[in-house]
Amino acid sequence: MPTRPLVTRYEDDLRLFPDRWYGVGLALGLAVLLGFPFVASASWLTAGNQALVAIVGAVGLMILTGFAGQISLGHAAFLAIGAFTTAVLGERWQVPFWLCLPAGGAAATVIGVAAGLFALRLRGLYLAIVTLGLLYLVAHTLDAYPSISGVGGQKLTPMYVTFGDTPEGMRDVYEKMAYGPLILDWDQKLYFIFAAIATAAAWTATNLQRSGAGRAMMAVRDHDLAAATLGVDPVRAKLYAFGASSFFAGVAGGMFALQQRTITVEYFALPVSIEYVAMIVLGGIGRVWGAVAGAIAYVFLGKLMQVIGPSLPFIARLPTGLQTAVLFSLLVIGVLVVEPLGLFGLWLRIKRYFLAWPFRY
Amino acid sequence: MTDLLVLTAAGLSLGAMYALVALGFSVIYRASRVFNFAHGELLGIGAFSMTSLVDARVPWPAALALAMALTGAVAAGVERAVVRPMIGRPVFVTIILTLFVALLLRAITIVAWGVQPRALADPFGDAALGLGGAELPYQTLAQIGVAMLALGGFFALLRRTQLGIGMRATSTDQEVALALGIPVGRILGATWFLAGMLAGLAGVFAAMKHALFGHETTLIIAFRAFPAVIVGGLTSPSGTVIAGFLLGLTEIFAPVYLGPHLGAFGKNLQDVFPYVVMILFLMVRPYGLLGRRDVERL
Repeated sequence: MPTRPLVTRYEDDLRLFPDRWYGVGLALGLAVLLGFPFVASASWLTAGNQALVAIVGAVGLMILTGFAGQISLGHAAFLAIGAFTTAVLGERWQVPFWLCLPAGGAAATVIGVAAGLFALRLRGLYLAIVTLGLLYLVAHTLDAYPSISGVGGQKLTPMYVTFGDTPEGMRDVYEKMAYGPLILDWDQKLYFIFAAIATAAAWTATNLQRSGAGRAMMAVRDHDLAAATLGVDPVRAKLYAFGASSFFAGVAGGMFALQQRTITVEYFALPVSIEYVAMIVLGGIGRVWGAVAGAIAYVFLGKLMQVIGPSLPFIARLPTGLQTAVLFSLLVIGVLVVEPLGLFGLWLRIKRYFLAWPFRY
Repeated sequence: MTDLLVLTAAGLSLGAMYALVALGFSVIYRASRVFNFAHGELLGIGAFSMTSLVDARVPWPAALALAMALTGAVAAGVERAVVRPMIGRPVFVTIILTLFVALLLRAITIVAWGVQPRALADPFGDAALGLGGAELPYQTLAQIGVAMLALGGFFALLRRTQLGIGMRATSTDQEVALALGIPVGRILGATWFLAGMLAGLAGVFAAMKHALFGHETTLIIAFRAFPAVIVGGLTSPSGTVIAGFLLGLTEIFAPVYLGPHLGAFGKNLQDVFPYVVMILFLMVRPYGLLGRRDVERL
């Protein structure tokens, strides 16, 4: 079985779909994506929405960490900026959500590029701790101004569809509505909107990786001095990565706010940053599909563990929130020790097995 | 003036705790090239085991030594079980790993000691030393003294003993150290054990500072100590100790002298001010106070 047409031209190497198996896989993925909200129960549909939010956020982090090699523990800060921009725009000026999300992304981009300027001289762990500082700084600033973060620590996020919607008219959004033959409830509507955004995010990031900017990022990741010697501008590549990454994070934050309806500053703390780093490590660093697979796996495994946690010995004695955390820690540690490339490494192994079949290698 | 004296003493004792934590980070980083995000949980283990030992009427100094030894043993266990297989892996893999080890350790402490906050009775109580109108609690002075002893002992060990020489050699180049017959594995274990002991001591200090402390308390302290580690320079133990003391003083002085002038932003300023200072400092010196600049070969 020829697995891939012989690459003879540079354009072939750059193609999005090198062969028809990619197309088949994508069509299957699309079918699952579109069919899921009609077969899933309410709680799994919520998990699906969370997974779509996580995909956008993880793709953003993948650009920064996976492409450009900049370790960030401050991803939650950008999510927070996007979330609160969306909330404030919606609550105060009744801005429709499809404008709030890019606005949240833009706000996060501004902060991201500014933070990137500070990060230019730093590497590795120093950068990780500085981004952690950014996280604390953003949380502290939000906390200090209740007009942004909401009185009593809670901020309502309304979802307006068109300009001129009133708070009363907006309630329709949360009701069950018929679109031609389709009758969709709130979660399903949200699912399709989020699915479109997540697909667009993954697509954009894939294209970014193929473009000159993306290759510059990867050159900087692999060796910034060598990249600079070869004419790649590391400053530009890093700032580009920070900007693009925080844009996606901002959009993901806005999506999260719309989905949760009420957000708090406390949520956007270190554990969220850790989750996102765990997602991209689980999925496989350096590939967009790693971010997508990692996000899906992370959210759904988390949900699965909530379900099975209470029936396991020892684990059942822990408080509920911690059960998931412990199971997850064991899983992540196991993956890191056994399969350092994450789900992508697993996929490579499966692929190699079938490529070499019937031989062992 | 008396205010300043009291604040300075408080800042120094807080700084002593941060110095112990930061030194632990730095020592572990030098040995294993791992930034140990599970350090906060080690503090917690030290503090919680201390309460149990004191409740069991073990004399205070013995209880302290036992709690420190237990924390050290846990740290060495973590090194052997999960950190050593990670040699040569990318930085973010080890970051994630230690973050999740931290979650596991927290689960273990919760199973062992419950979720209720606990109190640690110390032999000093509320007694204070009067000094020209200023009241300096004995507890604070004792913490500064014990921390000085521990830090002095550690640096003496690093400079003078065979173990210390082995540790320094290992942190310089593991392969060469191995080739010269230094038992690198055992040295790594000993390094983590010592760092764990320092963390245990810091955890006991943290427990003494709070009337009631829970699992979050020590965690927050470890995260607060990060700026000290970075400002001091990850690879420089003495730099992190200096930065640790500076951090303690900053944290005490900032809300008193700076906070009132910053309006709404100044509330709880001590939570973020060290990070602000750290970010500004790194603009000037990206490798910290005494850290070494990486020399790279193309």
